[in-house]
Amino acid sequence: MPVQGIRTVAAARNGVGAFILPCKRMDFHYCDWAGSSRGMVSFLKSALPSFAKANPQIEIRVSPRPHKHPVIKGHYINGREKAICVRNLEPEQIFKKANLLKEASGEKLKRTKKPVTSINDSVRGIWSPYHGDIKTV
Amino acid sequence: MKRLQLQRWSSSVLSPRVRTGSRLQHHLYTGLRCQSTFSPVPQAENEPLTHEQPPVSPIPSPNSQKSKYTLPSPPVEAARESAKLAALHARLYLPSRLPLETLARSLVDASADPNSNFNNASLATLGHDLLTYYTSEHLICTYPRLPMAVVFAAMYAYVGPKTLAAMTREWGVEHAATPGGEVDPGFLQFKRIDPGTEIGEGQVNGTTRPNDHRRWRVSMSSRVVYDNEFGEPVQDPTKNDGLPRPLPQGVTAEQASANFVRAVMGSIYLHAGRPAAKRFFEQHFLSRHLSLTELFDFSQPARDLSRLCARESFEPPVAKIISETGRKSRHPVFVVGIYSGEDKLGEGAGASLLEARSRAAVAALKGWYLYSPLNVRVPSSTEEESSAPWKPVHVDLGEVIV
Amino acid sequence: MAAVIVSPKRPFLTLPFLLPSLSESVAVESRRNQSSYRRTKQRLRVKPDSSFGASSDQSQEQIIYNPPSSAPSVYHTPTKFLPADDIRRTLRTDASTDSHNTKELPPVFKSTSEKKYHLNQSDIEEIRRLRLSDPMTWSRWKLAKRFDCSPMFIAMVCEASPQKKEIQRQVLEAVQSRWGTKRRMAREDRQLRKESWGRDE
Repeated sequence: MPVQGIRTVAAARNGVGAFILPCKRMDFHYCDWAGSSRGMVSFLKSALPSFAKANPQIEIRVSPRPHKHPVIKGHYINGREKAICVRNLEPEQIFKKANLLKEASGEKLKRTKKPVTSINDSVRGIWSPYHGDIKTV
Repeated sequence: MKRLQLQRWSSSVLSPRVRTGSRLQHHLYTGLRCQSTFSPVPQAENEPLTHEQPPVSPIPSPNSQKSKYTLPSPPVEAARESAKLAALHARLYLPSRLPLETLARSLVDASADPNSNFNNASLATLGHDLLTYYTSEHLICTYPRLPMAVVFAAMYAYVGPKTLAAMTREWGVEHAATPGGEVDPGFLQFKRIDPGTEIGEGQVNGTTRPNDHRRWRVSMSSRVVYDNEFGEPVQDPTKNDGLPRPLPQGVTAEQASANFVRAVMGSIYLHAGRPAAKRFFEQHFLSRHLSLTELFDFSQPARDLSRLCARESFEPPVAKIISETGRKSRHPVFVVGIYSGEDKLGEGAGASLLEARSRAAVAALKGWYLYSPLNVRVPSSTEEESSAPWKPVHVDLGEVIV
Repeated sequence: MAAVIVSPKRPFLTLPFLLPSLSESVAVESRRNQSSYRRTKQRLRVKPDSSFGASSDQSQEQIIYNPPSSAPSVYHTPTKFLPADDIRRTLRTDASTDSHNTKELPPVFKSTSEKKYHLNQSDIEEIRRLRLSDPMTWSRWKLAKRFDCSPMFIAMVCEASPQKKEIQRQVLEAVQSRWGTKRRMAREDRQLRKESWGRDE
C-alpha cells in the first residue's frame, strides 16, 4: 500500500467553538454550631441561590460537616479538585472565594512565561538555517 | 456518501408524544414503565424497531421507593430532580427544546437497560450516522485529493470512539459504578465488562465480506465497500460461524462514552432540528485540532511521486541539491528539492542524500494530497431554505495508485 | 501568505535606521564610547534587500515575495499541482518562484540514464531460462550487465528458484549470527529511522 493512515485523536481546544466551564461541581460544607461558620451560613442563606442561578453549569451540593471549619470545594473536568477553607470569613469574602473556584481551570497554578501558547503551527514555520536569503553583511 | 433521509424514519426513534411540544414534556413518560411494551401508535411496516422488544413484566407501583431497585435504569421522573443532569444540560448549552428526560435517556447504555424505549441505542445510531456524514463531507470537500487510508484515519480522529470518550471526559460526565434505578440519572450508566474478559480489539469473526473465510488480502477499495467509516471490518449479524454468539455481557467505558456522545447528537437533531445539530457538530467536533499532515505514512514516496508525475503528464521528478553542509563531517545536512521541469514540487532536509530525497518526496506528495480549493461548501449547507444553489466541488483523480 | 503588496515604493532615504541620527548618538554617548558606538553602528548597517531598491519598472505595481527562512509548508500547494481552474495559478507570478537558478543545481544522482526499452520477449525468456538454469553464476547483477538493463528490471521479470532463495537465506543467517549486540541494534535502529522518513518525523 503506497500510503497508510496513522490513527490519532483530535486534540480538544476548549473555547474554540464551544466553551465548557471547567468547574463542574462545587461542595459547600458548613457547621451549624461553630462560630467560624457564621459567615458561611449567612452566605448559604442569602447569596447561594443567586449564585446557583447565575451558574447553572455547576452542580452545587450543600452538606454539613459538624465540628469542622467551613470549606468550599471545586471539582473540575480534568479530575482535580480545589478546596478553600473559609473560616471566619464574611459572606462577601466567601462569594469572592466561590467565584475564584468557579473561574479556575482546575490545573495546578503555574507561571506563564510566554504571552501566547498555541498548538497551531506558526505561520512562518520553524526557523531553519538552510532557508531564506543569506544576507551578506 | 449517500444522503441521509432522517426525518422519515426518525419517528421510530422517539414516540410521537415526545415530539408534541414542550408543554407535554413534564409528564412525558411519567406513566408506567409497562406502557412501553406496546407501541403508542400503530407503526408502519418499515419501522420494525419497536416490535422486537421482549415483553417486560408490569411493575406494580413505579413511584414507590422499593421498586426503584428493581428497575434497570433510573425512572423517567427522576430526571427532573437530578442536579447533575441539569448542570450537564447547562454546561453543554443544549437547546431548551431538548428536555432533561431525553438527556437522561441518552446516558443509559443498552448494556444497562435492554429495553430500547429507555436506552440510548436508537439515538446513538442516529447520532453516529449524523456525525460520520458531517465529518466525511467536510473532509472530502475540503481536501478532495486525500487518499482513502488518510480519510479513514481522519474520520477516526474526529469521531472515533477514542475521541468521543475523551469528549465525555471533557464534558464532565462521570460513570456510574453499576447501573440501576436508584442511581442519579446524571451518571453514565452501563454494565462493565467482567475483569479478565478478553477484548477482541478489531477482531471480528463473521464480517459482511463475501469469501470471508478465505482470508484474502483486504484492498482499500473493498474496505470502502464493506467496512465501516473508520475502515474497520463490520460484524455481520447473520453470520455466526455456526456458533450461537453469547450476548455481550457488558461494554467498555470507551464504547459507552462514545454511544452517549452519539446519542446527544441524535437527540439534538430530533428535538432542536437540523441547524442546531449542525451547529453543535461544528462547535464541538470540527473545532478540535487535527493536523492532517501527521496522518500520512508513506512506504515508498519517491516511487509514488514518479507515478504521480507520469499520470498527470508532468515532467519526471528530478532530485537536486539545493544546499548542503558538512558532507565529510559526522553530521552532514543536505537540503534536497524535487523538481519537475522548472517547478519545485517539494523539499526536505536530511542527514544523507537518500533521506533528504525521501523527505522531499514526502513533502511533494503531501503538497499534492493536501490541496484545498477556495470557498469550500459542503452538500449539507444547501439543506437550509434560501441557501445558494449547489455548485459541484472539485474532483480529480486524487490518490496515487501504484 | 508571505507576499506583501507595496504600491508606492518607499524612497530609499526615508528608512531611518539606515542613517545615523544625531539625537541618538548624543543620548548613547553617556553609556558607550562614541567611537565604538559608531563602529558598531556601521557594522549593523546592513545593505537593504534587493527588493527594497528601485526596480527597473518603477511605475508598475508588483508583489514583493519575501519567503520566511523556514522549510515551506505542505499546505502551500505547488503551482504545478494546482488544478487549471484554480485562481491561485494566475496569482502566482514568476517573482514568487525562485526558479532562476534551477538549472545549475547539482542533481542528487550523477547519472540519470534514459530508459531504453530495448529488450523484447525473447530476451526476457532468455533471462528467465538463465536465472533458473544456473542461479549461482547468473545473479541479478550479472544478468543486468549482460542484457544492459538494471537489476531492478531483472527482479521484475523473473524470480529466483526456491533452492537459490534457501541458500541465500542460509548465507544471510550465517552472516547475521556473527553480529554482536551493538551491530544488531545499530542495524535495527537504522531500519527504524528509515521508516520514520515516510512519517515525516
